[in-house]
Amino acid sequence: MKRLLDGYHRLLTWLMAATVAILIVPVTLQIVSRYTALIPSWIWTEELSRFLFIWMIMLGAMVAVREGTHFVVDVWPQLEPRPAALLGVVANVFVLVFALVFVWWGVQFVRFGWDQTSELAELPMTYIFIAWPVAGLTWLLFLGEAFVRDARVLAGRGAR
Amino acid sequence: MMTAALTPGVAAIVLFGTFFTLFLLRVPVAFALGLACLPSLIIEARLSPMMLFNETFKAYNSFILLAVPFYLLTANLMNVGGVTDRLVRLSRSMVGNFPGALAQINVVLSVFFAGISGSSTADAASQSKVFIDAQVKEGYGLSFSIAITAVSAVLAVIIPPSILMIVWGGVISTSIGAMYLAGFLPGLLIAAAQMVTVHVYAKIYHYPVYPRASLKEFFYSLWISLPALATAFIIVGGVLLGWFTPTESACVAVLYTIVLSVFIYREMNLKNLYQSLVETGRLSSVALFCVGTASAFGWLLAYYQIPRALLENVSTWGMGITQAGFFIAGVFLVVGCFLDAIPAIIIFGTILQPLAASVGMHPIHFAIIGIVSLAFGLVTPPYGLCLMIACSVARVPVRFAIKDTMIMLMPMLAMLAAIIIWPEIPLILPKLIAPELLK
Repeated sequence: MKRLLDGYHRLLTWLMAATVAILIVPVTLQIVSRYTALIPSWIWTEELSRFLFIWMIMLGAMVAVREGTHFVVDVWPQLEPRPAALLGVVANVFVLVFALVFVWWGVQFVRFGWDQTSELAELPMTYIFIAWPVAGLTWLLFLGEAFVRDARVLAGRGAR
Repeated sequence: MMTAALTPGVAAIVLFGTFFTLFLLRVPVAFALGLACLPSLIIEARLSPMMLFNETFKAYNSFILLAVPFYLLTANLMNVGGVTDRLVRLSRSMVGNFPGALAQINVVLSVFFAGISGSSTADAASQSKVFIDAQVKEGYGLSFSIAITAVSAVLAVIIPPSILMIVWGGVISTSIGAMYLAGFLPGLLIAAAQMVTVHVYAKIYHYPVYPRASLKEFFYSLWISLPALATAFIIVGGVLLGWFTPTESACVAVLYTIVLSVFIYREMNLKNLYQSLVETGRLSSVALFCVGTASAFGWLLAYYQIPRALLENVSTWGMGITQAGFFIAGVFLVVGCFLDAIPAIIIFGTILQPLAASVGMHPIHFAIIGIVSLAFGLVTPPYGLCLMIACSVARVPVRFAIKDTMIMLMPMLAMLAAIIIWPEIPLILPKLIAPELLK
């Protein structure tokens, strides 16, 4: 299971890096087309860059849940492993609620975009909106892993 | 026409109460903001949680915010491509013979860095790696080293280019070119205040000095840094002359840095490049995800007309420009303790804008006060990103470096006061160079 999650995590990270790299292309085209006649000034460059950007944010937000890098405010003193695990569980329950919201209403959001196409490039909006439920599902996976880890800490230390 | 189920007061308590409770429970800020929206979205008959999706989508579907990953990528590429090393050498030849040499270099490098990248978090992340260990090895205090790295990083969003100015311009429609020009002088003043602080620390704690660099060394390091320093002129000049939009200018910075690292300094390889892309994606998406949920939160505040309720009394106080300036700075400084700067602009910049306009404050003056205050918020706990990043690189909890950070903030706050009292400090450069932008 861990290996599967590791693989998925690597895939998401790779996709995220790819979106960052590809983002440079349409914006560059946009500038170049304004000053030279080398390429026509496609109007979809701006839209494409925005859509890549949305996917980059959502992919990064997925990865960050597993890496624990979403910013948290630390007002607690240094905790022992067990209270820290307990607090981790409590915080993750709330993240779980948010993930469920993303899955449940995210599906509706995708349905809402079913018949829509984007204004300039006429891409189906489903390709964009699906990022939300995918993020929700991914969070559920990663949160499950975190719950198991925290539960082990709580149980392991408790037995002693 | 209020058809909302909750009055502004109750809604404010629900929104802020949920947010703070979650935030104390260590729920990530981005999620706490989103979750705080849920009760209202469910209670109100006319709203549904679908709003959360519409608002986050609208926030991310913005060409302006693209500048965030581009400036982070620029900074990461500067580090792996050898640009940073050359700027360090130049800074060393300039201030290496001052007391507290390495810390002075830290500040001067931040100034150069600020002229190329517009992201303080990127500055904090990269300079923490370069300086904290090195300073401690030379006998500087750890907490001092963390603090000076974090506070000098805030210069990146004050000295142009600046992500915050781009966002401000997008949200409150103010000329970004004029803000760029207006940011120079305040940024240099704050840097000067930091150098004085380092000097005092160095005298008290006898921090080490390097031998004075020869004039030859100075000119040589200036020569090899010139291509890098030119970035600042290309970016700021390009925006002022209308060659490209501010967001496009961030992309130009990326391209130029790639050219520098691959063809001129020749220090980049594919592995470095991939690592830079991953780092960029990680940091920018975490920061931006929060912008989305903050936008939903801000949208609800506006829906309940909470800002109007809050400011109803303020406008009757009869404040002048200076008092209003201090009030605005105060609000942003407090908000900056709890929120990242971009969400703070989205939520509170729009709230305060009518107040600034009503007392006759110049929009650029207002922008610089707001941006400088929010930049200081990047080092104020509990939520000061630059301080958090510097502390995490040094592997100590944030409270370890709070005292020195607060001491260093004092002279910086004095500079902020000067900017508030004398609007000429930010306004003089745009007046001289591009008066048409101030209209």
